[in-house]
Amino acid sequence: MNQHGAVADKLTDEELVQRVQRGDKDAFGVLVKRHERSVYWMIEAILHNQADSEEILQESFLKALQHIGDFRGESRFATWLIRIAINEARMRQRKYRPGQYESLDEEKSEDSDFHPRELSDWRPSPEQEVAQEEVARLLRRAIQSLPEIYRQVFVLRDVQHLSTEETAAALGITIPATKTRLLRARLMAREFLAPHFKSSAQPGRAVL
Amino acid sequence: MIRCEDILREVSELLDDEITAEMRIQIETHLCACRHCKVLVDTTRKTLTLVSSYTVLELPEGVSARLLDRLAKHMESGPSQ
Repeated sequence: MNQHGAVADKLTDEELVQRVQRGDKDAFGVLVKRHERSVYWMIEAILHNQADSEEILQESFLKALQHIGDFRGESRFATWLIRIAINEARMRQRKYRPGQYESLDEEKSEDSDFHPRELSDWRPSPEQEVAQEEVARLLRRAIQSLPEIYRQVFVLRDVQHLSTEETAAALGITIPATKTRLLRARLMAREFLAPHFKSSAQPGRAVL
Repeated sequence: MIRCEDILREVSELLDDEITAEMRIQIETHLCACRHCKVLVDTTRKTLTLVSSYTVLELPEGVSARLLDRLAKHMESGPSQ
């Protein structure tokens, strides 16, 4: 990254947006670098297809760039961007798979009880006993294993660290629904990881 | 009196520190006596710690470069609206 980029990297999203609005194209590159992962994985949670997700990722950032003059800072940039990406992904989904769209928005079984199955304790520091790339791979698989509505909330809250309110706004759902989905998502992610990090007499590599 | 199903419902807000002080005391009292719930809370906390401490969501190969390339081409050609 050049010197300009290194300085820009320390700015907040909203400061970078102001720079882009004044014509600083490099500032948009910093925003892209900062958000491309979470935007991609939000889209992938909806489309489940790498080629489509990549195309919609590009369309989303192009749309954000084209409309950045309209961004007034009433919400955080991350929230605004995620909304664009979700809209673009939904449009793609409706275009190619109209039947699937309705079922994905159902809030079925959200209120039903979740019963954790794995209740063994974990090794004290699984990240020190399992190779780093294996831990990262397991975490990625845990996130990908979550159904769409839970994965979206989990990525925004626990990976992207948006607040509950920002997550609700980005997804267009209520705060109670956000909290319910987050609880379920966290418990499901924990359940996925548990067998791999389970405490045992013979600590070793993760079971992959 | 807090029950195990209450812990299961509150674990997320407990970890986000979004519960009242009174509820926290009740939960902690329960956790001292219930190993299952303690494991549930500890391992859920560990899940969030791991997710926060890793760059878990890398992009597939080439996606980032192609994105920047397309944006650069768009910027060179000027606003299209």
